[in-house]
Amino acid sequence: MDPVGRTVSVLGFGDPGRAIVHDWAAATPAGRLTWCVVAERADDATLTALAAQVRTARVGWRLMLAGPEVDVLAARAVATGLGLLDAEIRTAVTGADHKRVSCPHCRVITEAEVPVGAEVPCRGCARRLHVYAHVSRRTGAYLGFMADAEEIA
Amino acid sequence: MTAVLPARPATTPGEVPELLLEVAAVAHAADGVRALTLRHPDGAPLPGYAPGSHVVLTCGDRRNAYSLTGEGAPGEAYRISVLLRPDGRGGSAFVHGLAVGDRLAVSWPRSAFAPVATARHHVLVAGGIGITPMLSHARAAVRWGRSFELVYGHRPGAGAHREEVAAVCGERLTVHESTPGMLDAVAAVLADRPIGTHVYVCGPAPLIDFVERTAEELGWPAERVHAERFSADLDPGEPFTAHLSRSGVRVPVPPGVSLLAALEGAGVAVPSTCRQGVCGECRVAVVSGRPLHRDLYLSEAERSAGDAVMCCVSRSLDDHLGLDL
Repeated sequence: MDPVGRTVSVLGFGDPGRAIVHDWAAATPAGRLTWCVVAERADDATLTALAAQVRTARVGWRLMLAGPEVDVLAARAVATGLGLLDAEIRTAVTGADHKRVSCPHCRVITEAEVPVGAEVPCRGCARRLHVYAHVSRRTGAYLGFMADAEEIA
Repeated sequence: MTAVLPARPATTPGEVPELLLEVAAVAHAADGVRALTLRHPDGAPLPGYAPGSHVVLTCGDRRNAYSLTGEGAPGEAYRISVLLRPDGRGGSAFVHGLAVGDRLAVSWPRSAFAPVATARHHVLVAGGIGITPMLSHARAAVRWGRSFELVYGHRPGAGAHREEVAAVCGERLTVHESTPGMLDAVAAVLADRPIGTHVYVCGPAPLIDFVERTAEELGWPAERVHAERFSADLDPGEPFTAHLSRSGVRVPVPPGVSLLAALEGAGVAVPSTCRQGVCGECRVAVVSGRPLHRDLYLSEAERSAGDAVMCCVSRSLDDHLGLDL
């Protein structure tokens, strides 16, 4: 738990996130927990609800996120985009099988179950993307790049 | 309009680029506060600066840092406001003795208290002559349409730039002439501002301490709280030896002599400006030993990392301090 926040909101994703959210909610002193939600995924509806929480929050508020990395990264990106700082966000990642991979060639994001270092076809331009270890905290996506870019055709 | 600004002069390490400026106007800003306008003697445009920047004036044999009160647009004259400190070390008395037409050496502006570009709202807190960097922040915030408010506390009748501040800020200004009223107002603001707000405070040490303590109690992360202190008042300190890891030289630092002065005495040039732990220019990397931080520049995280020291005021907890020089 964050020991210094005046108020706390908690958002979990899927069953692994649900268990952590349950523990966090139980550990939060009465009156400090202002919002506690478990969603299946960081889909548009969930992220819109999160954005509404951030927009109305006052300084002193903390956000705690739990669940698969792909969902936590997406939620984190929404919160920081609205002015939240790293120091105001706690995260618990339960797994990192799924990734959003950003294609710098066509700018489309592909979501896939793929490890870092492997390749995935871009759903935008069909290039074979090498999944690189660089994660954009702004977009919540891994950087992909054309796997055979330096090979002579 | 296209203004051709002077190129920043090339300097060697240890040398600070300076401008020779002329006093263009002297005005009374409040009891004991003199406002100076400084221009280039040729009328050449002066470099712009980030809001909250300061310049270092050569005041006889002293060098004092003063906040610029302008918006910071390139080409503007520089404006500073200086409170006379009869018990000070002569810097403010020197400035109060200046007249129109006098020339003096002024450093290029240095930014150590700039607004955070990503902030949703800026809370400016000024105590007494601490209004000077806030006037700069407020002017720039108005120009660029940034959301801000200013809480200004001063002794009854002694508010420097009171009318000017009111004209710039309008409804965004609240003024308090009693300390309890000021502190209550600041606490109320800190208790209820939207996420994304940053707070900036300049004034006497007790006001800065109050803002930092209250903000922390209300759950503000340190990253949202920015303070500009006037200067540090320091004891002579314990002796130690600086080990220069690149050259292998050992430099003894006796009590009452700063690490910076000892390094300079040993022929090691270190860039420096304010020499009072404020500006951040004289930062040196530490490779061994534990620094005794006495500056007002490094953040708490940078202090605990222990890998850098502001050598103008800070010393060593250990007998030896290894420096990357």
